[in-house]
Amino acid sequence: MNVMPSRSDLQAQASPKPAAAMIEIDHVSQVFQTSSGQDHLALSDISLSIEDGAFVSILGPSGCGKSTLLYIVGGFVQPTRGSARMKGKAIAGPGPDRGPVFQEFALFPWKSVLGNVMYGPRQQGVKHSEAEAQSRALIEMVGLKGFEDFYPKELSGGMKQRVALARTLAYHPEVLLMDEPFGALDAHTRTRLQNDLLSIWERDRKTVLFVTHSVEEAVFLSDRVVMMSRSPGRIRQIIDIDLPRPRRRTELLLDPRYQKCVVDIERMFDDGGEAGLRS
Amino acid sequence: MISGETALKRAAPFLACLGLLALWQVASLVLKNDSFPTALEALRAIPSILGDKEALINFAASLRRMATGFGLAVVVSIPLGLMMGRSRLVASFFNPLLMVIYPVPKAALMPIIMLWLGVGDIAKTLVIFLGVSLPVIYHSFQGAKAVEEKMLWSGAAMGLLAPQRLIRIVFPAALPEILTGCRTGLVLALITMITSEMIARQSGAGNILFNALDMGQYDTVFAMIIIVGAMGIGFDAVFERIRARLVRWSEPQFDIPLSFS
Repeated sequence: MNVMPSRSDLQAQASPKPAAAMIEIDHVSQVFQTSSGQDHLALSDISLSIEDGAFVSILGPSGCGKSTLLYIVGGFVQPTRGSARMKGKAIAGPGPDRGPVFQEFALFPWKSVLGNVMYGPRQQGVKHSEAEAQSRALIEMVGLKGFEDFYPKELSGGMKQRVALARTLAYHPEVLLMDEPFGALDAHTRTRLQNDLLSIWERDRKTVLFVTHSVEEAVFLSDRVVMMSRSPGRIRQIIDIDLPRPRRRTELLLDPRYQKCVVDIERMFDDGGEAGLRS
Repeated sequence: MISGETALKRAAPFLACLGLLALWQVASLVLKNDSFPTALEALRAIPSILGDKEALINFAASLRRMATGFGLAVVVSIPLGLMMGRSRLVASFFNPLLMVIYPVPKAALMPIIMLWLGVGDIAKTLVIFLGVSLPVIYHSFQGAKAVEEKMLWSGAAMGLLAPQRLIRIVFPAALPEILTGCRTGLVLALITMITSEMIARQSGAGNILFNALDMGQYDTVFAMIIIVGAMGIGFDAVFERIRARLVRWSEPQFDIPLSFS
């Protein structure tokens, strides 16, 4: 890993950051080796600061490295250059302060719904009875009361993602890292989960980093949308979404400000010559 | 209430066995060969074998070696296969070795092993161990390799370190595949058990079989084949029950997703 701490440290000091930055991404670049042995620049010089309690979406076409950026914050992938920090401390690996939710659900298939949700708290040393009580409450919160003893295999995609969200919330991460969490779901299920995620988030306002390629989803959920471009992945623009909260889907769809946001972002991608977001 | 069709389905294996025995009986009567007793003669020889104390001691010795070889192989092969599946370094070290050993019939190693370790328990148990190891290693390896990376990341985010992830995520996730390997291994254990006793005659079920062959007691030979075959079917059935219980969460009958988002 060619981490160059000296350079990024200097840069960080040079630019004054807002006090409550939860996550700072500092001049991160990521180079992958393709199967033919060539270097591919997936992320190029990304710098981004995410304040405590913000819902930030990373929006971009497939192959722009947006998931890689999320994995770097998660500590699952080490950046080739640059660094990421959480509350001022360099991210060296995964940890329970950052909870991932993946498009692939990644549930433990040998555990029941309850077993999956309890896994994190038990790992953190929470007493069995206490972990169970908390987990049952969370399962109810994500709308799966009555399914505690089901195995993941018996659940639909939407239900699996609800379990995955509850499982991550159960160990109280300070940041939620959501990697196209609703990308594998049908449109109807997707809408329901967006609504439910928003109402859960509006209760405790955890910091959320949310990766998506859907403009509507990004605008509906986020405080800020980070637009990325492809090859190499760069930040094109950061757009503040000044829509009032709590947001109701039915109201928002009729709101001209929402519509303008969506259209503006789509235009920006079109002007950039991107071959469409849903590719 | 059992319908006619399900009753037929349940009876089918028994009918198949009966059919085979009937075919055997007819073939034997037609051929009139001394070394090919009828099915009835073979079946009639079974009680006298199972009633003989000497024979039972031989069976016990066989089963003890089989259990030891199988048990040791499982205990060694599962961790090895899992580590190979998760570490390229471990895999690149052991893969060539296994590729060399894989096509060699384990019984063919028996003469060398006998030369080094004698004809006793150790040599025979070692051959069983080798026979069982390969399928278990292979399936553990494949199972561990197929574990979704995101599942491991989820565990890492909860604070599980690499060795914990191997035991608490890779192992259970790969368990269906591991048990498939163990099932193959169990049958191979029985086969290598008999062949090892055939080569190094001293005690065991294989010893009874081949001694009877030498002495021209063909009804005993065929009775032993039936007994060993029945043992194989019995072990496999018991193991299959245990397996199905352990991996109920991955069985296809659960594969009916509920229609609720």
